[in-house]
Amino acid sequence: MIVGALGVILMPNTINSVMSLLLSMLALAGIYVLMGAHVVALFQIIIYIGAVLVLFIYVIMLLNLKGQRLKLPREASTYIISGFSLGLLVVVVWLFWQSLWGTTFTGDAANLKVSATVHQLAVDLFSQHILIFELTSILLLVAAIGAIILSKK
Amino acid sequence: MGFYHFLSLGIVLFTIGVVGFVIRNNTMVLLMSVELMLNSVNLIFVAFSRYLYGTEGQIYVLIIMAIAAAEVAVGLAIVISIYRLFGTLDISKIKLLKG
Repeated sequence: MIVGALGVILMPNTINSVMSLLLSMLALAGIYVLMGAHVVALFQIIIYIGAVLVLFIYVIMLLNLKGQRLKLPREASTYIISGFSLGLLVVVVWLFWQSLWGTTFTGDAANLKVSATVHQLAVDLFSQHILIFELTSILLLVAAIGAIILSKK
Repeated sequence: MGFYHFLSLGIVLFTIGVVGFVIRNNTMVLLMSVELMLNSVNLIFVAFSRYLYGTEGQIYVLIIMAIAAAEVAVGLAIVISIYRLFGTLDISKIKLLKG
């Protein structure tokens, strides 16, 4: 999975990048199944692989993109800023880790009892979280109209 | 595989996404790096939902997936119009300001 993710950012050709992303997302769906989140794994395959990646490949074919060399930035300021932000990231992750250490998140993920069944998930989604569900549907409608208008002319 | 393995995997994936967003200058690869970051956040959400025995994490993951699909649709429309306007997708060659 990490190999696939590295392939996304290091492949010079865009279509190879998309194929690496496909590998990474399939591995992620496998991890979801391993964690007992079958609904999420199913949606991962349907939405990401079935819609998003197909859209990427479709746009690449539409624009007839050719491969280009991997150019790395050359300015010194870029590397200084990158090093600083990487250090900040390490500090944030370390603080997060310290605050989580010693909590009771133990046990094998595959052996825990499954808490969120499909039924429970649906009841929760359509009772407590109905507002964000409706807002998401409005957002999807707006995004579809926006995409059509942007690519029309 | 325990909780910390999933957390480490999510953090590593997020870092790879950020690095890809910074070092590449192809607009399509930039969008794919954003997808990678969203995927890592989803992984961490599901891991917390698993170990806290709740359903909220998985519900938020479904919402994030819908928003990611909307973002990719709009982003690829912008990519198509950029390609029509400039004839390239290299963001270091796209200049509108005359400076």
